Amino acid sequence: MLQVLASKLDSHLLTSLNACVRCGLCAESCVYYQASGDERMIPARKVELLGSIYKYYYRPQARLLPVISGARAINGRTVTEMIDLFFGACTGCGRCEPHCSIGVAIAHVNAVGRAMLSEAGLTPASLQSTVNAALETGNNMAIPTDEFVDTIRWMEEEMQDEISDTRARIPLDETDVNVLYTLNPREPKFFPLSISAMAKVFYAAGESWTLSTRMYDVTNYAFFSNHAAESRLIAERLRDEVFHLRAKTLVLAECGHGSRAFRWEAPNYLGHALPFETLTSVELIHRYITQKRIRLDGKRLKERITLHDPCNLVRSGGIIQEQRDIIHRIAEDFEEMTPHGADNLCCGGGGGQLAMSEYNERRLKIGELKADQIRKTGASIVITPCHNCVDQLSQLNFTYKLGVRIMTLAELVADALIFDQ
Amino acid sequence: MAGLAYQLLRIVRSGLPADHSQAAGKQRPAIRYAMTGAMNPVKKESAFRHWPTYIAGVVYHLGTFLAIGLYFIILAGIETGRVAAFVLAGALLLSSLAGFGILLKRMIKPALRHLSIADDYISNLLVSLFQLCTGLMLAGAGIEFIYYMIVSILCVYLPLGKLRHCILFFAARYHLARFYGHRGVWPPRSAAMTGND
Repeated sequence: MLQVLASKLDSHLLTSLNACVRCGLCAESCVYYQASGDERMIPARKVELLGSIYKYYYRPQARLLPVISGARAINGRTVTEMIDLFFGACTGCGRCEPHCSIGVAIAHVNAVGRAMLSEAGLTPASLQSTVNAALETGNNMAIPTDEFVDTIRWMEEEMQDEISDTRARIPLDETDVNVLYTLNPREPKFFPLSISAMAKVFYAAGESWTLSTRMYDVTNYAFFSNHAAESRLIAERLRDEVFHLRAKTLVLAECGHGSRAFRWEAPNYLGHALPFETLTSVELIHRYITQKRIRLDGKRLKERITLHDPCNLVRSGGIIQEQRDIIHRIAEDFEEMTPHGADNLCCGGGGGQLAMSEYNERRLKIGELKADQIRKTGASIVITPCHNCVDQLSQLNFTYKLGVRIMTLAELVADALIFDQ
Repeated sequence: MAGLAYQLLRIVRSGLPADHSQAAGKQRPAIRYAMTGAMNPVKKESAFRHWPTYIAGVVYHLGTFLAIGLYFIILAGIETGRVAAFVLAGALLLSSLAGFGILLKRMIKPALRHLSIADDYISNLLVSLFQLCTGLMLAGAGIEFIYYMIVSILCVYLPLGKLRHCILFFAARYHLARFYGHRGVWPPRSAAMTGND
């Protein structure tokens, strides 16, 4: 664990570990503290936890006077606390950072804490099993290739029937295409209609594209455990598949963490810039609209609609306005949540929480804040460009009896597409 | 000062993390925003959800800067004039009260007490006493020995505890700006990019 800490002690981490003044004013910016009122979950407490370990091993004067400095050695007690706080009480949404009176990189500190635990083999078993499934089978749901191909063919037939055009295809493993599109394995497993929704968008745009049967998984759950070798290996596979199929652009499906893990983190896992264009599907759809490659039935949706911003795509990914521009073209009655955009509240499903069944109760409890936000908009449809968020919002919909429909952005756009005859 | 300079040098020498991802925004405007717009109390929950503490904090920090400036004036034996001395002493009394108020809050609020370590109380107490003693010195109280003792303790303690945030604050804002600037989040280009309006 200490080797990991040592390897990450650059000026960013050193500043973060030393700059916190424990004013506690970050408390209300955290969904965990807001929902529970538990002082252990104040973001500054997480910084202090790692900071106390740093002080013990790196600041001799602090180690001499632990009563004053709070320096603490790594032992069974601190490790238990680390697992509970770093994995079980943070989604890594980063909302606390801009609201921190200093500007401490709290989510970064939390991620370093997770890296220390994961290298020591202390990642919660449920999260690690998801990572292992991806490492062993190529996708985090361990879907066999023939099952995946069957699902795609089924969706292709459905789409051809719906559009009445046998040229509408969902290509597999085609080379020299413009776009290699990825999926969240939840799509072929549980929500195959979102695959055909995006396929319709590609068809309408006349795009040259493909899916890969070898590596289509956009997720990288090792990003959540922050395990260096595992997150790098998953990123390498996706990069290599772009090379293998000689695609010009990699398009990341509607998955907040998957988008972040490849667009922003993979170049650092791999140690080099990506030699091809990488876009999120939100950016691509926005581009198709602005380039007039697809046409939408403007203001076709009369129901009130609201938007949930996935933290990794928005606050940590800068994709903020594009989805709003798209929704404004389709929906007549769009109501923002308060707060929203870069200041949004996490739905509670981020940070690998959906995979960690150990913390299910906490996850649903913190999600109550999002449920209240949704209820206050009076919307009957919630759009979110993230399959993890779809999953959490669907559970919140059931738990808190919201009576709303949860949709991805591609599904909204596909329903509004005007196909040229 | 040497201790603080060492701390800063150590952080600078530890190097910036490499970022190989393609930038979506520029860092300089983000750094400007981090030091200005992003500090707007109307946009920061740490301010607008805690107005009394925020205002007390601002007064307290202004008092600290004032007391530091006055320390050099007192050391140089420069006369401030009777009226100015009383006005400045009054300001420092007010700022030290803000400091003691923050200290009291830390002592009585359970969540804050849970979060605190001894360093927090010591730092808060030392700075509040420094401001109070500076004010009393200006008001003509004969407390030279106590004043210089507090200043000495403060100078020794400065690079050891959380008072280092006087320089680390700027480093933290820089890193935050670097992150959000690179990813095109800061400075915000539309209302949705701040989102709490």
